Parts: sequence; structure tokens; C-alpha cells
Amino acid sequence: MRKIVAVFVMFLVVGSVALLSSCAPKQKTPSVIKFGAAVSLTGKYAREGKFYKDGYLLWEKKVNDSGGIKVNGKSYKVKVIIYDDESNPAKSQKLYEKLVTEDKVNFLVGPYSSGITIPDSSIAEKYKIPMIEGGGASGKIFSRGYKYIFGTLPAAGNYFKNTIEMLHMMTYSSNNSNKVTKVAIVHSDSAFDNAVANGAAHWVKAFGLRLTGVQEYPSGSNDLSSILTTIKKNNPDVILVAGHTHDALLFIRQAKENKVNAKLMAFTVGVQAVDFREALGKDADYMVGVTPWLPSMNFKGEVFGTAAEFAKTFKDAYGYSPDYHAASAVADALTFQHAIAKAGSLDPKKVRDAIASLDVQTMYGEIKFQANGQIAKGQAVIQVQNGKAYPVFPKQIAQKKLLYPAPSWDKR
Amino acid sequence: MFEFQVIINGLLLGGLYALMAIGMSLIWGVTNVINLAHGALIMLGAYTTFWLFKLLNIDPFVSLAISFTTLFVFGFLVQKYIINFVIRAKMFITLLLTFGLDILITNVAQTAWTSNFRQTSPAYSANGFSFGFITVPYVRLSAFIISIILVFALYIFLKKTKTGQAIRAVSQDIDAARLMGINVAKTFALTFAIGSGLAGVAGSMIGVLMPITPQMGGIFTLKSFVVALVGGLGTIFGPLVGGLFLGLAETLGSFHLGAKYADIIVFGILVLTLIVKPTGILGKNDE
Repeated sequence: MRKIVAVFVMFLVVGSVALLSSCAPKQKTPSVIKFGAAVSLTGKYAREGKFYKDGYLLWEKKVNDSGGIKVNGKSYKVKVIIYDDESNPAKSQKLYEKLVTEDKVNFLVGPYSSGITIPDSSIAEKYKIPMIEGGGASGKIFSRGYKYIFGTLPAAGNYFKNTIEMLHMMTYSSNNSNKVTKVAIVHSDSAFDNAVANGAAHWVKAFGLRLTGVQEYPSGSNDLSSILTTIKKNNPDVILVAGHTHDALLFIRQAKENKVNAKLMAFTVGVQAVDFREALGKDADYMVGVTPWLPSMNFKGEVFGTAAEFAKTFKDAYGYSPDYHAASAVADALTFQHAIAKAGSLDPKKVRDAIASLDVQTMYGEIKFQANGQIAKGQAVIQVQNGKAYPVFPKQIAQKKLLYPAPSWDKR
Repeated sequence: MFEFQVIINGLLLGGLYALMAIGMSLIWGVTNVINLAHGALIMLGAYTTFWLFKLLNIDPFVSLAISFTTLFVFGFLVQKYIINFVIRAKMFITLLLTFGLDILITNVAQTAWTSNFRQTSPAYSANGFSFGFITVPYVRLSAFIISIILVFALYIFLKKTKTGQAIRAVSQDIDAARLMGINVAKTFALTFAIGSGLAGVAGSMIGVLMPITPQMGGIFTLKSFVVALVGGLGTIFGPLVGGLFLGLAETLGSFHLGAKYADIIVFGILVLTLIVKPTGILGKNDE
């Protein structure tokens, strides 16, 4: 008898504790909107991963300091939960699954690199939680008919479009000295760089220039001398390189070693970054890059003010100047902020629809998405002149004239 | 014409591969530890030279000695106070330990110096001389010569000096060496120190030729591993032969078949070696 009572009491205690604990979170309804991200804080993308983390957290602080986000008259604080994916796509996918199922985040912001974003976007689609990412531009992210993935980097296939258009205008203008006839493309075997190279090859032909060859190398290669020898053989006027920062640095150093002189060398990644220019010193001059964003561009939005003001806020917080990675990370979060306000709800489906039809001005420029979820923004062409990067094309935003042709290595 | 340039580039790259692999091959051959932190040591060498150049304006070739000494001491301490505890354990354990060390060193470096790209850029970097259509960069040529000098210096050290003979004795038979009065623990630590110092020298040169980041080491561990195996484990000239062979195969293969096949060529050679002659090009077949 006593045993039965004891068991009964035990059940009662366990039951009431369980009841209490299940009630507890309900009592304080979350007045926090949770965002989740897995970025690379270690491994080969640690450098870029940090830009995204810093960008997301800067936005979080800015929003919370100014009173949070208002949804239907109720104020919410925001919180961004960030994990380290170790630059590993499989790990990243697991972390996003955890963010959705265990941390119960409301919305997702993206990782860095196309290779990692591709599997992660499937998580967003599977759970119907919108993800806005600023770290992957490969067309493969947006070509699968997904409804819940949005990207703030311009399409990979269009990375060199403006550069090639600029070359086209030089070639077909009246000025005879600046003709471009032959273009060579070099790219790494990553998903993103493949997409850039395919797009670039398309635009070279579309703009009436001649392609002398497309060469591919394994990501993270430590020797590009054979590619450079082939280039020397073909003697192109222009070399377009789609690879990560490491590859761009190595390419320039080895081009100089092998005395490969092109009139123009353009890179997808690197030229925008301060450490890239510092590592190369004077050799960085005349190098051309593309960027969706620079602090000097005349963009302006509600939360951070102008691009320059944003850059200052960022630098004050972290001690280094933001490049387009950090800016696009902040743009991801800003897009959510605008979309939530527009939807007047935290319902993932409603916010998703609000993102799809959004059209706002921000410190990152106009945020408006194409039907496939990728931003409808273009890339400005920039060139390093005396150690600083200036926009040189399109005309509306150019601050300097393109220096062309670049002098040969021995004349610098 | 371009063929010659590719061959020159291949030989120079091979010299660099040899330089990377000497230390790993020595440690592997003597202590039977496959040091997966080898690339991280190369990275430390690269940073040593970079900071000495950047902060004190010390020429990279002068700082070779400093880089060697720093990594020598570092390697000695790592072996004596960490690796030595598991030196007699199964190879799997030492693999795990050095793998962990690699992650640790890389992450400490990342915390200390950030992941920003850096490059040691003395005025003469990337310059070179030309004859006809062929160009030869000074720094790569120097790295090539240094690696040959180091291989021969190591040869003389191991053959002629008492300490060198002790190292060889330990690598042949630990128990017999101990019976002859050789301090095995000290010899292991010394071997690890020399191997690390050589990695430091390799790093110093690589930092002038390639971008420096805390993560740069991974690929060098892998390449050194392949070079050491293909050249012949436990042989003094193995790294040089293996390095030159792989350097040539990689550049010639990339030039004729396309650069995207570079990795396939390198690791294809590794697999072929393991099948056809597991002891490597210079290795003896008698075991």
C-alpha cells in the first residue's frame, strides 16, 4: 500500500514538474525574433566567414539599440545565433537543420561561398523558412525553383559582364589605341568560379571579342605556372580570373615571375580587399576587380544611412573597413527587417512573399529580387590606382578613368 | 620553346617541393611519426620571416637562420613534452596527435594574426633573369639551390657526425641503439627539432612566393607526404628525387593536359608508386 502511494506521489511530482516546465516558455511569449546562421569561423573560409559574422552582429546591435523591430505595433528585439561550419558544407547543412529544429529560429541568414550555400538552401526550402544569403552567387543556388532562398550577391554568370561591356566600348569606340581583341579566362574548379567563367565566356562572345582559351585549375592550387605559360603562348590582351583571393594573389605573383604581361587583368575576388592590396604592394596597381559595393558608392538607406556612414560604423565597431562581403551580410539582415515591416507578421510564408516583392533603397543599393530569388543588381568595375581601389565603370559611378593598357612588369 | 619554360618551372617547383618534404621525410624515417602538423610548421616559418621582414626589415634570406632556429626549438619542445608520450604507441595514435596539433597551431595562429592574406615582398621578389624566352625567378632559383644544399648538408650530418650516426642508428633499430648507450628520447627530440627547423626554412621561402595565411599549411602537408613517399621513405635523397619528379610531372601534365588535372596527376603518381614500388623511387626493396 505504502509503495503504491509512493509511486502515485512520484507520478504527481514528475507530472506537475513536466506541466510547469512546458508552461514556462509560453508564459513569456518570445519578444525576440531569432535569426540563425552558420558561417566559416575556422577552416579555409575563416577570413570571409568573419566578415559575415561581424556584419550580422553589427546589424543586431544597431537594431536593438534603436528599439528593435515593430510588428503590428509590438516591439521585438532581434537575436542572431551564429555557429561555426568549419568551412565544411556537410557540417553547415547540419547546423542549419539544428537552427531550424532545435533553436527554432524565425529566419535564416546565409553562410559564405556558393559550395556551402547550395546544400544549405535545401534546408530553408525543406522547412519553408526564408533564407537570405550574401555569400553565394552561383546560379546553381537559384536554378532549382526554390521559393525560400534569396541572394544579395549579383549572379555569378554576370560577374564580368560590366567588365566585358567596358572592353567592348573601348574596342568599338573611335579611339584606336585601346582595342581589345583577345581575352583569356582562367578559373578554379569550384561551383561558383565555373559559373562565373561560363557567364564570362558567353559575354565575351556576345560583346564581339575573341576568346583565346578557358583554363581550369583545382581550387587551392599552389602553382599556376603552366596556365601562365599557356597564356604567354596565346598572348591575350585581357585575362579574366575567377578564383578565390589566395589564387588571385598567387596568379599575380607568378605572372610577374613569368613575365606575363596583359594589358588588363581582372579578378572576381581580391581587388576589393585591403589585405590583398597590402600583400601585393605596388604590384596591385592596374589590377581590375568587380564589386557590388564600395563605401564610396552613392547608396543610402534608412537604418545605416549612406554607404560611407555604414563603413564608418563598421570600422568603429571592429577596427577594420568592411568590404562587399560584410555589406552584403548586413544587406541580408536589412532585407528581413524591411520585409517583416512590410508583411506586418512573423509568418514565414508572409515574410517570404514580402521579400519577393520588396523594392527598397539601402546602404547596399537597391534591394529588389529577380523571380529566381537573386538580386537584380550589377557589378561595378574597379581598378587599383596608387594602392587604392576606385570605381571606373559604369560611367554614372566612375571616380577615375580606367588606366589601360597596364605597363609591362619591367616598366613599373 | 614554351616546353623549356615549363620544364624550368617544373624543376623549380620540384626544388620547392623537396624543400618542404625534407623535414617530414626525416621525422617519418627516423621516428616513424607521420607529422600531420608539418604544414603548420611551414606556416609558422612563413610568418616568422614575414614579421621579421615587415617589422624589422630583415631580409628573408637572412631570416632563414632565425626561422630555422625558432622552429628547431619549437619542434624540440613539442616532441619532448607532447609527442614523446605516445612515441611508442600505434601509428594511429601519433597520427591523431599530430592532426590535433595541426588544428591547434593553425587556430592559435588565426587568433593571433587573423586570416588576412599576407606576403613577404622584398624588392627583388618575383624578379628574375631571362635568356631568350626563358625566365628564371631569383627566389625560386634560390629555393631550389637551398634545397639541394640542405639535402647534402643533411647527408654529411647523418653520415659523418656522431649525433647523425646516432639518429641513423635509432632509425634502424631502437633497442640495439639503446643498448649501445644512445639516448633514444633525446635523439628523437633532436630529429624532430631538425625536421621542424627545415620546415621553418621551407616556410620562409614559400612566404616570399605564395600568399601567407594560417590555413596555408594543409596543402603543404599533403604535398610533402606525397613527395616523401614517392621519393622513398628513410632515404636522404628521396625528397629531392621525389620533389623534382612530382614538380616536373605536375607542370608538364598541367601544360599538356590542362591544369585541372594537376591533382589527379600528383595523386595518381602516389597511387601508382604504392602499387608498383611501395618503398618509393630510391627505397630498397628488401623488407
